[in-house]
Amino acid sequence: MNNPYQPIKTKILKVITETPQIKTFVLKPENHFKFEAGQFIQLTVPGVGEGPFTPSSSPYDLEKIEVTIMRVGKVTSALHKMKEDDVVGIRGPYGNRYPVEKWKNKEILIVGGGVGFAPLRSLFLSLTHNIKDYKKIVFCYGAKTPQDIVYKEAVLDRWQREFGKNVSFRITVDRGDETWKGKVGLVTTTLDNLDEEISSIPESVSVVCGPPVMMKFTTLKLLDVGYKPENIYLSMEKNMSCGIGKCGHCQLGKFLVCRDGPVFTYDQLKDIPAIWD
Amino acid sequence: MKELFLSKDNYQRFLEKILSKFSLYAPLQKGDFLFYQKVSKENISDIIIDTKRAIHPLKSFFIPARRKVSEYFNSSLTLDQKERVILGAKACDLNALKISDSVYTGEKFGAEYKDPFYISARERTILISSDCMAPDENCFCNLLGSKPFPEEGFDLNLSSLEEGFVVQVGSEKGEKLIKECESLFSSVDQDMIKKREKRREKAFKLLEKTNREFKTAVSYRELVKNSYDSPVWKEHSESCVDCGGCNQICPTCRCFLLSDKKVGEKYERYYLWDACLLTGFSRVAGGANPRKMLSQRFANRLFCKFYFFPENISIDACTGCGRCIAVCIGKIDMRKVFRDLAVERKIPVGLENE
Ligand SMILES: Cc1cc2nc3c(=O)[nH]c(=O)nc-3n(C[C@H](O)[C@H](O)[C@H](O)COP(=O)(O)OP(=O)(O)OC[C@H]3O[C@@H](n4cnc5c(N)ncnc54)[C@H](O)[C@@H]3O)c2cc1C
Ligand code: SF4
Ligand code: SF4
Ligand code: FES
Repeated sequence: MNNPYQPIKTKILKVITETPQIKTFVLKPENHFKFEAGQFIQLTVPGVGEGPFTPSSSPYDLEKIEVTIMRVGKVTSALHKMKEDDVVGIRGPYGNRYPVEKWKNKEILIVGGGVGFAPLRSLFLSLTHNIKDYKKIVFCYGAKTPQDIVYKEAVLDRWQREFGKNVSFRITVDRGDETWKGKVGLVTTTLDNLDEEISSIPESVSVVCGPPVMMKFTTLKLLDVGYKPENIYLSMEKNMSCGIGKCGHCQLGKFLVCRDGPVFTYDQLKDIPAIWD
Repeated sequence: MKELFLSKDNYQRFLEKILSKFSLYAPLQKGDFLFYQKVSKENISDIIIDTKRAIHPLKSFFIPARRKVSEYFNSSLTLDQKERVILGAKACDLNALKISDSVYTGEKFGAEYKDPFYISARERTILISSDCMAPDENCFCNLLGSKPFPEEGFDLNLSSLEEGFVVQVGSEKGEKLIKECESLFSSVDQDMIKKREKRREKAFKLLEKTNREFKTAVSYRELVKNSYDSPVWKEHSESCVDCGGCNQICPTCRCFLLSDKKVGEKYERYYLWDACLLTGFSRVAGGANPRKMLSQRFANRLFCKFYFFPENISIDACTGCGRCIAVCIGKIDMRKVFRDLAVERKIPVGLENE
């Protein structure tokens, strides 16, 4: 029987503590598993439940997948207690992906907030895999405090050394501390003076993922500085149960986020009431 | 469509024949309502198929309120293969199956992930529907362009006459069932068809009379458009007690929740009916909820029926069966909601609409 509710047995290879609330789990599914940047999986903690998460690793890495998860409730707390060699389940991949082939030779602006970095890391790794295909990448990220920055070593150092030629980084925190030498301010402040980096905003694409308030104000600002609604890509978070277009939980206007998303352009969503709630 | 005659006596023999081969479910009276119940030799003569729909939605045969869908990493769950017959479904029941079929087996709702449990439950069921002859005060299928008698979606349909039934054969499954007891059926004559049409006409007239005051000059689909901010949602949901009963009883409400249960070191996964009227339905981590207010959830249920489904599969996800009106503790009647949405926009309603 082809049972879409049945997860694949998956081993935890490693657990990386990113911040006090966020851990990255390196997973090895028993069966072959391939996804593309932007798609999500349903992750089962046996006996506790399931939740939707986006892989944060490179889609080109076929050996393992990584998910970066913030502890917020039942399933995520149980997961945070799990260790190397423990068994979880995954279903998927589900939903659509970032249409990167449409972005060739373009300037790409990526804006992330908090744990919303997860799908953007996967996107970033997938873009930088073929970095010559894109004109320029601007990577903006905001966290509450320096302690809350995920993939800290990569964003603050390794990526900057590796990709500094083609990518510019704008990292900010809401509140600094004595060690922080970088920018302080909400993530929307990283969008000031964008024209210093991006030569043609109307042609450029932007990709946003983060908490709802952050997505709202970022989108408004992007529109304000001249991004076209069809060039603003948003990863929408809605309550999900099945992930496969059946259970009705993720309905958003005429869409189902698990089927038609999670990646939408603002143009698709702009007429739906209360999209940010 | 092939049509045959089944006399009253032969109807009893036909039911006995069915009972000898299959499990049979049919509407039986219990208190104020009809419920689908398992039929045995003892209650076979209590079956009521020629009044109105049962209160119990037909969906529960295909989407039970609770069903095990996964068992740790073991994919050998078995599906029940036993054939069964459901007798006495009405047009509004069959129309509702179009919605659940589209979701669980169709192309528009995750075509790669068809639901094997639903599919097998549908396949092993023979549907014998019947004409509705006594719609009650909550029925309004006529307002949605439907008829009180089945036109498609059945294996056999029975139209009751004084002397017996006109039987329509709607599928191969139905044909096969007839073949097994061919001698019980004879040919229909024009007189019988005329009588059937007369009875159908009578039921339809009754519906029109009941719903005259609610008839809006434009469709419900048009009325929900751009109504998000209307005060009508708040006014009508004032008496709602947030019980989710309207969702559960509705034959087209098909939302569910996957819920895992710990069993020793393993787990079992169940699929449970869920209800969009309940506050947790759309809540996400950290307590954010796009439909915090009851009036938003109340409106959402009707947006789903008259906006979401029409946009996706071009049919309304409401069959006008009136079950949600019949069970509502708050005495909420969606016909009045739409009447008020129309009034608000100065669209003619009821008698002024004629
Ligand atoms: C497409 C998608 C991708 C996501 N990717 C990530 C990611 O990469 N990293 C990450 O940390 N988080 C991600 N999330 C959010 C994550 O799914 C929730 O934080 C998680 O499900 C919370 O589960 P919980 O049991 O710990 O929380 P609780 O607060 O205990 O439970 C929340 C309640 O809401 C239900 N629920 C269903 N769907 C959701 C949802 N989307 N969010 C919150 N609750 C939900 C749960 O079943 C439960 O009833 C993503 C969400 C979506 C929709
Ligand atoms: S049945 Fe009536 S009271 Fe119960 S949730 Fe539905 S509308 Fe509200
Ligand atoms: S919404 Fe009410 S009238 Fe319409 S199908 Fe559901 S229960 Fe029947
Ligand atoms: S999560 Fe079930 S329909 Fe989208």
